[in-house]
Amino acid sequence: MTELEARKFADLEAIRAPTLGGRLARWRTALANAWHELRKSRTASIGAVMLVLLFGACIATPWITTYDPIKQNYRERLQPPSEKHLLGTDRMGRDIYSRLLWGGRRLVTIAILAVTFGLSLGIPYGVLSGYFGGRVDTIAMRFVDGLLAFPGLLLYLLIVTLAREWKMEGIYNDMVLIFALGFAFMPEVARLSRGSVLVEKQKEYVEASRAVGDGSLAIALRQILPNIISPLIVNATVRLGYVILIVAALSFLGLGTPPPTPDWGSDLAAARDYMETAPLIAAFPGLAICYTVLAFNLFGDGLRDILDPRLAER
Amino acid sequence: MLAYIIRRVAYLVPVLFVLTLVVFTFVEMLPGNIIDTLVGNEGVNDPEVRKILEKEYGLDQPVYIRYAKWLFRAVQGDFGMSLVTRRPVAVELLTGIPATVYLAVVGISLSMMIAVPLGTIAAVKRNTPIDYTAQVTSLIGISIPEFWFAILCVLFFSLYLGWLPSSGFANPFVDPWASLKFLILPAAAVGFRQAAYTTRLTRSSMLDEMNKEYVDTARSVGLSEGKVIFKYTLRNAMIPTITISGLQLANLLGGTVVLESIFAWPGIGRAIFEAILQRDYPLVQAGVLVLGCIVVVMNLLVDLTYRLLNPRVKLG
Repeated sequence: MTELEARKFADLEAIRAPTLGGRLARWRTALANAWHELRKSRTASIGAVMLVLLFGACIATPWITTYDPIKQNYRERLQPPSEKHLLGTDRMGRDIYSRLLWGGRRLVTIAILAVTFGLSLGIPYGVLSGYFGGRVDTIAMRFVDGLLAFPGLLLYLLIVTLAREWKMEGIYNDMVLIFALGFAFMPEVARLSRGSVLVEKQKEYVEASRAVGDGSLAIALRQILPNIISPLIVNATVRLGYVILIVAALSFLGLGTPPPTPDWGSDLAAARDYMETAPLIAAFPGLAICYTVLAFNLFGDGLRDILDPRLAER
Repeated sequence: MLAYIIRRVAYLVPVLFVLTLVVFTFVEMLPGNIIDTLVGNEGVNDPEVRKILEKEYGLDQPVYIRYAKWLFRAVQGDFGMSLVTRRPVAVELLTGIPATVYLAVVGISLSMMIAVPLGTIAAVKRNTPIDYTAQVTSLIGISIPEFWFAILCVLFFSLYLGWLPSSGFANPFVDPWASLKFLILPAAAVGFRQAAYTTRLTRSSMLDEMNKEYVDTARSVGLSEGKVIFKYTLRNAMIPTITISGLQLANLLGGTVVLESIFAWPGIGRAIFEAILQRDYPLVQAGVLVLGCIVVVMNLLVDLTYRLLNPRVKLG
């Protein structure tokens, strides 16, 4: 039996017997299939490995950090990397390694929530607009065009300024960011899913399920949606990187969460004052941002090639 | 085409309307109001005085009337006075626009000079080490935050080598040499990221063109490969590249806030940023409105140019 046949067999077994073992087997095949597909693109596999490391570090943060990220220690200011402080300490003697991990955990969480929020607004909007078509579609898309024309960064600047004036701190500040960034992602998602729906709704399987007697909403959400998901995944992955860049830029400008919360952008801004004496402090948060954004971009780029082989052949 | 242009210009109206609404709502949603600031400054807190002041500033009127009045004045270029400098906001903004445009245009030109040859070579030498290097470099380029790249440039070229000033600005018409020195680092920071985008774009649109039939025809009649590429493919491939670069230019004008504040570049982006820090909200309001309008109008112009250059695009 070849590897592929074995996998198919395991699949069949899993379908036949929905026991715990069967379910595990099904998951294992799904994972194996996914990995098999990923291997087709070198960029995607590198990105995937980088992302696994990133998510692993984010989840494990409380256990793998060595210091309290906001505890100051003036006796150990601006230290170079050592055994005690893996990446050294910043101007207040705080452990940079621990700050990076906690900051990353927060940043990645914000990005994922924002993108999920954008998807959950944009997909139903685009799918329904494309599915119903006609006047509804025209009006809905005009609105989306208007939103797309809006310069993003300026909008975020206004929103974080408002958050600052209303003295929103910590979780409230993060929530405002998530809503703003998610809402700004909505028009892109809506347009993309509408475009795919217009193509999909001409296909036979849609007619088939209408013949069986399914309602419009059921067809749109249960039949068409699963078939248009792949370009959305690619788009969302790349967007995650973009969102991280924006959040970092805002906090670099001093308009993000106020200190002492660990944050790559504001840590980088603070490190500027010590650039001549301790350039490494400015290097680490920047590298962390690069690593994260690059991981998402690599994965998204590779995924696009896998899901749309027409492009990869070029 | 004319009908299309008219329709597209008509679409501007709702977009600009939303823009003004957002900007107006922003100031409305700030906690407290201008009276608090004024009363606080004078140290008076007499309800009578408040009433008089409210009447004077029109705050006793309903919000839609205030919006209409504000819009009416804004259309004429009257955005009120800056709370910090006490000069008209319009003047503050106008002085910033040339510097921003200067930086953005130089940055974009720089990126095109790097990216177009690089993208073309990558496409022509597809799937060779040159192509991979170009692809990986540009992917890394779009992943590096521009402010970090800027800091690294300052660290290396200003602090370590001491070749270039770390920030500042000089008028190119007064002192071209000094101005150039100030320009290099910010323009490189703008251009680097743009170049990464444009390389990817040039590469993929070159590949698109090279797959078309006219290329085979040109080759079969015996044209040299260089002629095929430079005379035919590259020209067609440039249409989307230039269009997107135009769009990027529009976005750059709206997005130079970060770089302008790092390099103390006296543009409109830094004016807005400093106004946010100093809570000079009339300036923030007007700045975002003006930049937003520029971006929206630029987008429209680019779109129209694209249709003109490429008549095959359906006028949808």
